[in-house]
Amino acid sequence: MKLQHHLGGLENLGPVNLDTRVFAQPWEQRIFGIHTAMMAESAHLDNALPRYAIKALPTTFRSNWTWASLRTGAEGMQPFEYFKFRYYEKWLGGISQFFIDAGYITAQELAEKTALYRSEPDSPLPHRPNAALDAQIDAYLQQGDSPRHSNQQAARLKPGQRVRIADPEAVDHTRLPGYLRNKTGTVDLIYPDHYAYFVSTGVDGIGEPMPVYRIAFEAADIWGPGKSEANTTIYADLFDAYVAAVA
Amino acid sequence: MNGIFSYSDDRETSSAAKVRALEALLIEKGVIGSDSVDTVLRHFETVAGPFNGAKIVARAWVDPAYKARLIEDTPAAIAELDLPAGMTGAEGEHMAAVANSADVHNLIICTLCSCYPWPVLGLPPYWYKDPVFRARGVREPRAVLSEFGVTVPETKAVKVWDSSAQIRWFVVPERPANTEGMSEEALAALVTPESMMGVALVAAPQA
Repeated sequence: MKLQHHLGGLENLGPVNLDTRVFAQPWEQRIFGIHTAMMAESAHLDNALPRYAIKALPTTFRSNWTWASLRTGAEGMQPFEYFKFRYYEKWLGGISQFFIDAGYITAQELAEKTALYRSEPDSPLPHRPNAALDAQIDAYLQQGDSPRHSNQQAARLKPGQRVRIADPEAVDHTRLPGYLRNKTGTVDLIYPDHYAYFVSTGVDGIGEPMPVYRIAFEAADIWGPGKSEANTTIYADLFDAYVAAVA
Repeated sequence: MNGIFSYSDDRETSSAAKVRALEALLIEKGVIGSDSVDTVLRHFETVAGPFNGAKIVARAWVDPAYKARLIEDTPAAIAELDLPAGMTGAEGEHMAAVANSADVHNLIICTLCSCYPWPVLGLPPYWYKDPVFRARGVREPRAVLSEFGVTVPETKAVKVWDSSAQIRWFVVPERPANTEGMSEEALAALVTPESMMGVALVAAPQA
């Protein structure tokens, strides 16, 4: 069991953080912007809905970079580290390491450049505008990257049907919240069409287009009677691979 | 974030220098352009943000038929309004609204990461991304809500929406009392991002 897959329901964490800021420090905006620019020029968009002319884009970036990349990195962190670092600190660590591992930069280059900006924080960034990439960033942000694929096949499950949630082997990445594994819920809605995921999660089971169900869980069915708040329902959108009909 | 870990004294200056170094290297190597990051950030000032969600909520408050359409088919109802192009863009490809009422209080969460409806709410605040909210919000939502200052009686149903696949949820909060006759614009100014995620009620205007 991987902690990051099982955050939902973890107890004894103390009071919630009430910080309504989006960015706790100005530098966090820059790593958010880098990540989002990478998503906008990700090689996979060449084959996305809508199709983007990524191969024609004047960029040296030729990798796939999606939410799955960032999430897989966060889920792979040692749990103490995951809790230690603030949200965008995790992004900065993960994205820097990706660029080193993929050979775009070296660790030494990054260390040297970091030392330079430490001693001269106001030293300017290089000036190399890329209007075509700016246009692609705007296009991606405005048109998105929908996982929806048209499919008229009748779904295997029916609204109102009782279902049991699967418990696949925990691999690098999942979209199945851990607290719902092996729990019983009710199909609330079957979304029209099928939905892909950015990557195949292997034995976890998602990636190719498949139905997605909105499943309703009574809190007592998840946490146990007497161990949950009254009159509370939890809804989760779950891919077909995660849902089994109760015999 | 938490006092139990030790952090270096120059935690923030170190991260600031590292992210600037990374951006500089990526520009030098042609991975991004020198305006790429600013282009991203501008989107969240001009196109996507809670200013859109607030207009959607205000319209739902003044027009019950619109509110019904918003719950039934959220993208189509959003498309009726004069909002910036891009309301079905990144992290808004499939959005769905749920409405608070006298009988139901809704809470939006993403226990696995930080899924958030960008076009209508912009970027998620720290409380939403924090592991403590993500852990406790599904187990003891009423206790969590009370820490935010929202008391939900047991007679009122709590519905928690965990964003684990394609849908990005947002809440249409209840319209506060003493707002009869207010313009849509004035109503929209009352609506906070927190109220559209379910951890706040919309406060009545000060007399």
